[in-house]
Formats: sequence, C-alpha cells, structure tokens
Amino acid sequence: MTQDAAGAHDSSAQWRLSALLGLLAIAAAGASLVIGRTSGGPMFGFGGPDLAAIVLTEIRLPRTLLALLVGGTLGLCGAALQGLLRNPLAEPGLLGASSGAAFGAVIVFYFGLAGADSLMLPAGGVAGSLGALAVLYALARRRGDFLTIVLAGIAINAFAAALTSLALNFAPSPYAALEILFWMLGSLADRSLAHVALALPLMVPGWLLVIAAARGLDALTLGEETAASLGLNPRRTQWLVIGGTALAVGAAVAVTGVVGFVGLVVPHLLRGHVGHHPSRLLLPSFLAGAVLVAIADIAIRLMPPGPELKLGVVTALLGAPFFFHLIVRARPEGA
Amino acid sequence: MPSSISPPLLVLLAVGACQGAFAGPLPSVASINLCADQLVLTVAAPEQVLTVSWLAADPEESLLAAQAAKYPLNYGSAEELLRFHPDVVIAGAYTNAFTRALLVRLGYEVVALEPEDSVADIARNLRRVAQAIGRRERGEALVAELDAHARRIAARRLERAPATVVVRPGGFTVGEHSLADELMKLAGVRNVAAEQGLDRWGSLSMETLLASRPELVVLTGYRASQPSLANAVLAHPALRLLRESQQTAIVPGPYWDCGLPQSLDSAERLQQAARR
Repeated sequence: MTQDAAGAHDSSAQWRLSALLGLLAIAAAGASLVIGRTSGGPMFGFGGPDLAAIVLTEIRLPRTLLALLVGGTLGLCGAALQGLLRNPLAEPGLLGASSGAAFGAVIVFYFGLAGADSLMLPAGGVAGSLGALAVLYALARRRGDFLTIVLAGIAINAFAAALTSLALNFAPSPYAALEILFWMLGSLADRSLAHVALALPLMVPGWLLVIAAARGLDALTLGEETAASLGLNPRRTQWLVIGGTALAVGAAVAVTGVVGFVGLVVPHLLRGHVGHHPSRLLLPSFLAGAVLVAIADIAIRLMPPGPELKLGVVTALLGAPFFFHLIVRARPEGA
Repeated sequence: MPSSISPPLLVLLAVGACQGAFAGPLPSVASINLCADQLVLTVAAPEQVLTVSWLAADPEESLLAAQAAKYPLNYGSAEELLRFHPDVVIAGAYTNAFTRALLVRLGYEVVALEPEDSVADIARNLRRVAQAIGRRERGEALVAELDAHARRIAARRLERAPATVVVRPGGFTVGEHSLADELMKLAGVRNVAAEQGLDRWGSLSMETLLASRPELVVLTGYRASQPSLANAVLAHPALRLLRESQQTAIVPGPYWDCGLPQSLDSAERLQQAARR
C-alpha cells in the first residue's frame, strides 16, 4: 500500500516541489533584505541613500544568508537523520551536536573570550560540536547500531546540557549568565559576513557528506539486511549522515545559537508530497528549512518596538501549529 | 622680530591657539547597555548624547530614568546605531557581543566596559567613559567626588558591625569581590555570606539565611509589583518573621546592579538602618 503510494510520486514531484520552494526562498531572501528594524519597529527600505550600501551588505545580507544556510542545514540534516534512524522524532539536536556546540560557545563566554574577538564564540561552538561527535563515535564505534547511537546521543546531550548549566553557575557576572541564556535560544541579530565565512566552509562539506548518503538511505528503508544484500554498507551511510550533520549543524549552532524545531518539523511537512524515499526529501527539506528560518527572522523584525525576539522562539511558534495540523490530519490513518 | 610676522600668519596662529583650547566639538556618543547608559548620562555633556538603551529610561532599572527619557532610545542593534552615526559607542563587556563586533567592523570606536565590582571599578569606568568622549576633566571631578563620598561614609562607619544578609530576588545574595560587599564593608556591616566564603554572587537557602542569625536584613527589590518566582522568595514566611524581629534595610536593585556614583548612597542607607 505504502509502496504504491510512494510509487505514485515519481521523482519529478521532488523537482517540482524544490522549484517551488526555491522560488519561495528567493522571495523570502528578497523580503529579508528590504525589511529592517529600528527603535520605532519595522522599517521597509534602507533609511536613506547614504546608508543603503552599508545596511544592505554589512547588516542585512549576512543575516539573510545565515538564515538560509542555517535553515537549510537544519532541514537537510533533519530529513537525513529521520531517514537514517527510521524514526520520525529524529532531529539534529539528537546527536548532541547542537548541545555540544552550545556548550563550546558558553565556555568561550565564561572565560570572557567572546569580547576579544566575535569569531571566538563560533569557533568555540564548532570545537564543542566536533568534540560531541568524537565522544559519540567513541561510544558507538564498536556496536555501531542505531539504538546505541541514539542512546549515546541522548547521553551526550544531557551531559553537555549539564556542563552548560554548570558553567552558568560559575559565570563571572549575572549579566553574562543572562546573555548565555539568550544565546541558547538562537538569534541572527548583527551577525557579519565574517560569520558566514566561518560557517560556510564547515557547512558545505557537511552537506556533501549527507548528500553522499542519499542512495544508502533509500536502501535502508528496506531494512539493514536487505540493504547489505544490495551491496550497500549501512555503516558507511550511517557515519556519512552523522559526520555530515555534526559538521554542518555544529557550524550553524556555533554562529546562531540553538534554533529548535526546524529539523524536526520540516521533513514531516514535505514527506506527504515526495513519497517515502528519504533521498527525495533531502533537497526539498533543505529549501523548506531555509524558507522557514528566513520567514521566522523576518517575523522578528516585523514585531512592534522592543528588544528582538529570539529566533528559536519564533521557529517553534511558526513550526508547532503545522505540526499540530499534521498530527490531527494523520490520526484516522494511524488508528 | 614680531614685526616680521605678517598679519595672515598672525590670524593662523590665533586660530591654532583657539583650537588648542577648545579641540573642536565634543564627540557624539551612543550607549547600548544599561550600566554604560547611566555612566554616559553622568559624564557626558547633554548635547553629546545621541541615544541610550531602552532600559535606561525604565525607573525600575535605572537611577537616571528621567534624564534618559529625554533621548531617543535604542534596543542595541547595529542597524539602529548606524542611523545615529555616533563617534563613540559605549557598551558592556558581556552584552551585545555580536553587535559590538559588527560596529568595530564598520569602523566605529566601541568602548566595552567591564562590570563594576568595586568602588575602584566605578572610578575606572568613569575615567574610561570620560576619556572616550573627551570629558576628562568632568571624569576626574566625578572620581574626586566619589572618593570624597567614600571617605565620608568610612568616617561614619558603624562602631559595632551587625551580622547582615542581603536577600535579592530569586534567593540570590552577594559575596566577596562584589560591589555590594565592598559597600557593606565601607558602611561597617558584616556580610555573613562573604564570611562563609561566597565569591561574587550566589544563592542563599532560607535555612542558611536563618542559621546565620542576621541582625540586619537587606532586601533589594526588583519589579515588586510584577509577580515572579524570584519575588516569591522575598515573601517567604520565614523571611517575614525575621523582618519583624530584626532591622531591615531596603536597597533598590539599580543601586547595586550597576556601579555608579549613586551606588554609594546604599552604604548610607545601611548605616541609617543599623542605627535605627
């Protein structure tokens, strides 16, 4: 039955959907470039010809690029992980990459290094993410099955979160603690092109690793044994996805903080449209993730005057209603 | 010899001398952190200030709310600040890390102030702000005033130091190496939490508080009218009983949250409460 349903979606559905999402992403990027925020609330345009160039290239362009790149990363990795673990609850945060990155960044904050150079913060995040991956690999290398990986990921998450809280307890100033807390909810405010340049060289190899696993992910839907009998090595697929995710998501979290919900919700939104081949979900999920985060970041700037809302709050606010809708719609089928 | 100087050269010399005395207009300044705002409002000439952060105009947060409300308020984003085009941006060392970096990248002079954990830190930050915005004399005058104020408080130090605990919202208290602790020492009260080895700041359980048998309880409120778990601590029945039997001083949060010349007034409050 599901096989038939999947068959009804030929691979061209993937490209049609991707084209549509691509157009949406371009529209969102365009809107993101012309919508700003001043003390008086949202502002359309650049506020004067003398400021236009600098506002566009130094403030809104990095912000827009990062929204697309980070959203795309979360969507892509969420789709790949849900395919790999054959579990609809999988998301990039599950492997400990996000919490590891957050911990690395918080440590940089704790030692007051963040002020010295704004790139220290993301660099700490990347180091934390790679550290979490190294621990995951050490824990799961021998057994290597999915269950071990998920359990190890949960353990790493809990441990990194505990270490983060510990660092908060020792924060040198109550204001530092407050800033850390905000940072962990994610934000794109005032990032510069230097942050794009820091994250992109790690994100691109991460994406490529995940994409290289596409065929293996399709084979894995038939079960590990069947996949192996088709001449595909499930272990290879597994480490491609996990390594790629840690790299790309680690770089993303390191620059923007933890942005929740995107990796979880985006693949679910699209699965009904492209069928159940994980490989066909990858590109649409990348694009939809980019659109979701770009729209969330635009929504932040459209709020009435006040301090900026955090990105993680808005992605959850935007994503959760879609999720409710999917659950309600799926109920008769499941029952 | 003087007669050989031609009139145009004389004019030039005169202009040069004037520029030496008044080195052009004062640099304009924007501030994006509550503590920096209040220091800027204290040190700067009124016409120098372009904008301060929104918290500075909130009387629950700021001692200079009325003064701050005269200026446009910012929420600390780079895009807002570009529109003010300040010569100098004053910020806090622990806040707006990304914004500060971006402003530096765009060529602005950004001064990041470390938190004030002592009276000496207040003097240091007054001087740093004064230096950055061309008000060195005003800065030195404020520091001299600050030192004199500290000496006046020390001269009236309490003869017998009462055991004192500070209860902040959320059950927090202050330990050694904090501004509040130094002001308590200056006033002549014993900070029980610091004697127990607490460093900077930390939480205080109701039981530890009672066991320390304080003679003076210092409450620092924060948005007392707005319900929060943090404020519920201040309404704990045990604390209420203690307040009935012991001396109480109330120090509003802004006196200790940022290090300002006015912070020293809190030491006088402690002395008054203990002498009551």
